[in-house]
Amino acid sequence: MTEPLLKVENLRIELKLRDGVAPVIDDLSFELMPGESLSFVGESGCGKSMTALAIMGLLPEGIGRIASGKLIFDGEDLTTASEARLRQIRGNEISMIFQEPMTSLNPVITVGEQIAEVLRTHQGLSRKAAWDQAAELLDAVRIPNPRSRVSDYPFQMSGGQRQRVMIAIALACKPKILIADEPTTALDVTVQAQIFDLLRDLRAQTGTSIIMITHDMGAVAEMAERMIVMYAGRKAEIGPVDQIIDHARHPYTQGLISCVPHIMSDLTETREELTEVPGIVPSLREFGRDQCLFASRCKYRSGECLQHRPPAKGFGNGQISDCWHAEAL
Amino acid sequence: MSDTPVIPEEPIQKARHPFVEAWEMFRRNHAAVVALAVLVLIILGAIFGPILYATDPFEMVWAPFSPPGVDGYLLGTDYLGRDMMAMVLNGARVSLLIGLAAAVVSVVIGVTVGALAGFYRGLVEEVLMRITEFFQVLPTLLFSMVIVALFGASLPMITFAIGVVSWTAVARITRSEFLRIRELEYVTASRASGVKNLRLMFKVILPNALPPIIVQSALMVGSAILFEAGLSFLGLTDPNIVSWGQIIGSNRQYILDASFTVTIPGLAIFVTVLAISLVGDGLNDALNPKLRQR
Amino acid sequence: MSETENKPLLDVENLTVRFEVSRGGSWGKRSYLYAVDDVSFTVKRGETLAVVGESGSGKTTTALAVARLVPAYEGAVKVGGTDILGLEGEALRKARQRVQFIFQDPYSSLNPRQRAEAIVREPLDSLSTKSEAEKQEIVDRLFAAVGLRKEQQRLFPHQFSGGQRQRIGIARALATQPELIICDEPVSALDVAVQAQILNLLRRLQAEFGLTYLFISHDLGVVQHMCDSIAVMYMGKVVEHADRLSLFNNPLHPYTAALLSAVPSVDRARREATRRILIPGDPPDPVNMPKGCRFASRCPVAEARCRESAPDLRDVGGGHRVACHLVDERAVSPLAALT
Repeated sequence: MTEPLLKVENLRIELKLRDGVAPVIDDLSFELMPGESLSFVGESGCGKSMTALAIMGLLPEGIGRIASGKLIFDGEDLTTASEARLRQIRGNEISMIFQEPMTSLNPVITVGEQIAEVLRTHQGLSRKAAWDQAAELLDAVRIPNPRSRVSDYPFQMSGGQRQRVMIAIALACKPKILIADEPTTALDVTVQAQIFDLLRDLRAQTGTSIIMITHDMGAVAEMAERMIVMYAGRKAEIGPVDQIIDHARHPYTQGLISCVPHIMSDLTETREELTEVPGIVPSLREFGRDQCLFASRCKYRSGECLQHRPPAKGFGNGQISDCWHAEAL
Repeated sequence: MSDTPVIPEEPIQKARHPFVEAWEMFRRNHAAVVALAVLVLIILGAIFGPILYATDPFEMVWAPFSPPGVDGYLLGTDYLGRDMMAMVLNGARVSLLIGLAAAVVSVVIGVTVGALAGFYRGLVEEVLMRITEFFQVLPTLLFSMVIVALFGASLPMITFAIGVVSWTAVARITRSEFLRIRELEYVTASRASGVKNLRLMFKVILPNALPPIIVQSALMVGSAILFEAGLSFLGLTDPNIVSWGQIIGSNRQYILDASFTVTIPGLAIFVTVLAISLVGDGLNDALNPKLRQR
Repeated sequence: MSETENKPLLDVENLTVRFEVSRGGSWGKRSYLYAVDDVSFTVKRGETLAVVGESGSGKTTTALAVARLVPAYEGAVKVGGTDILGLEGEALRKARQRVQFIFQDPYSSLNPRQRAEAIVREPLDSLSTKSEAEKQEIVDRLFAAVGLRKEQQRLFPHQFSGGQRQRIGIARALATQPELIICDEPVSALDVAVQAQILNLLRRLQAEFGLTYLFISHDLGVVQHMCDSIAVMYMGKVVEHADRLSLFNNPLHPYTAALLSAVPSVDRARREATRRILIPGDPPDPVNMPKGCRFASRCPVAEARCRESAPDLRDVGGGHRVACHLVDERAVSPLAALT
């Protein structure tokens, strides 16, 4: 059995509020294998992005901090690493692409220069070599005519192409982990399909592990092997994607799957009402209480849900659900 | 599942007026709160001071250049032996009044021009913005001096002169806010509801454009007071009224012999304008919705 | 169903919307962007037509033009037989009562300075002559109909969640008892779990009030759930227009097929059955549109004639209309030849 590339143990991230602190990530543990594709799923405000920022060492300074737990990357605990060491890792061994390709690129610098800069800082390449490799990377992310497009400015590219440039930058140093935070939310569906294909192929070629953060169960099904469903800063359910989609053991996961109208293979005349998950995600103030935080929206709610935080219950193949009623579901 | 399904409801908030919220935000800016208290004191002084301290500011009451605190005159006397206390209190009325009135003039002109330009776009915008630019490049002090020199140095004319040279900033802010807001969906929604143009402009868009305009107008009161002080210092003022600038102007020759005759009204201007600026700053915090969710 | 079923409520004929664009800044030379180019479709009373497409397809502009919120350059928009494009003044306001709009972004579509009740009442204030008491009664009924409580009427928009805000937007659209409601991406700005609440509400209201929807969306999953028929737009043109089952089970235009194949699905059977149809490259420059089929540059099966002449939208049987040279009366997808 190979060693996990990234091991997160009992991670707790606290965010400073006007009155006190809130655990935006509360006791989160998971492992990421080399070459694996893992997805974080949940609504906005559930702590998906916060996990990614913590791994990158990019928590908002002065507001968010790692309160306890470990982030072991390749045998090294990132929570105790120095800022200089984190800078070395960031963009080099772990890199990230963001949701909005419009604002993540510097508008006044050519895309080639933006890629080359990463190569020069992290790999110490010469100006010429970095520029050549930038063109190669643009080719790798399937931008046509990379030799001429390399001197384009971001505004000369379409949204999909900008996201490809972001991927090229992220992959410039052949990272071991690529974190993609809602990489296709701002893009059209045909462009999304191209980006997914690209990510899949690049992963197959380079063996990079991918952590994808999304709210779209369909995207998870297409892209990931395992998923972690997050709710209100806590892990609701973790396990293999197909197994969870077939039989989710957490009411929130079930809700996320069935509340979206999916295009099925056998389309029929009848259309059932969609399952509603009533209410909204609780406010940060309510995070960290000793109860099931989903209880207020859950139709299976019972007494113990409100009294204690649910225990983790395993269901084989690594499927774990944090729900008092997991077996009954 | 044995439990009966419970459909929980989303928590609802209590209705709070935006003014209450704005005050909450304003309160967090401590400098602005102190400044507001100072400003209130100054305004109360301007309103009630001359009534409670009923000395004629034009009457010679004592020997000239009597220093503050001596002979029963709290702020001393000026070069004509007039009571400085009475002059500063009466001057406060004029200075604040001109400041407010001039700000109102420039807001009325500026908002009208900016709103029309931003709402109708096209030719209307072109013409109005060229006019605005024309006023912007005029040397303001010179222009207002010309107005006052031509039409006489009466209080309304001074106010008008200050207002006319300072509305351009309001016009530009209003226009840019209108340009931004008219594209927002709620304006389109109001159009879909059949709301007429005039109502759209002043009932739908303007209230949402107000925050930066209010902040700008508050700052404008301060700059109008300074402007008036400048004009009075140059002697371009109604000789039958006292204002802070005029006290400084008329005592300027004696700055070395009796510096208090200049520093006291100068301090009054300084404190007032600073207080207005700080309040404006606090208003910016209070009315800027981006800060609200913190 | 009754005999009214066959009568279209909305009949859009040859609708064209163009915007002037300044390129290069040379005086006197004007170029136009045809955001909506000669688009025709009908919606039957009580049914839902979806207009789908990606960004730049002109679907939202179509919606805005039908609602008279952007000026149309040519064409006709007939609601119940009368063309509303030429109407002005009182007549236009009468027409607005019949056609209402639900906006995409519940955060920017509500005036932050108005209370919820005032927002919902606004169409009544400007379009109807009802008394204050009647208006209040209508507002009360609407709040109940969209699942909001009476106490919430006095709140301001920022005191509501995204889903609740969209409910206010829906209540506002219902205020004048319209026949046609245009929904412009009504759920795309909402969290997934909240989308279901709004979609269910829209379907419930449709059944309850006999509403007709023109439903604009880029999300084919949502469209499949909500609609009776679908018009697919690409670069300002309708490329395919068919009822729900024909379009999803037998997409004929290569673009429709590519669009459908790109939608990620949780259904393993569908994932395994669909072959991803890649459409490389970018759409053409909307200001200098090619003279042939606008999809030809990205189409995997394009032929010489596709680049020469633009295909018309024509019926290939059973009301299934396609704008593609390669589809004939047998209604077989031209992509079938690829495998």
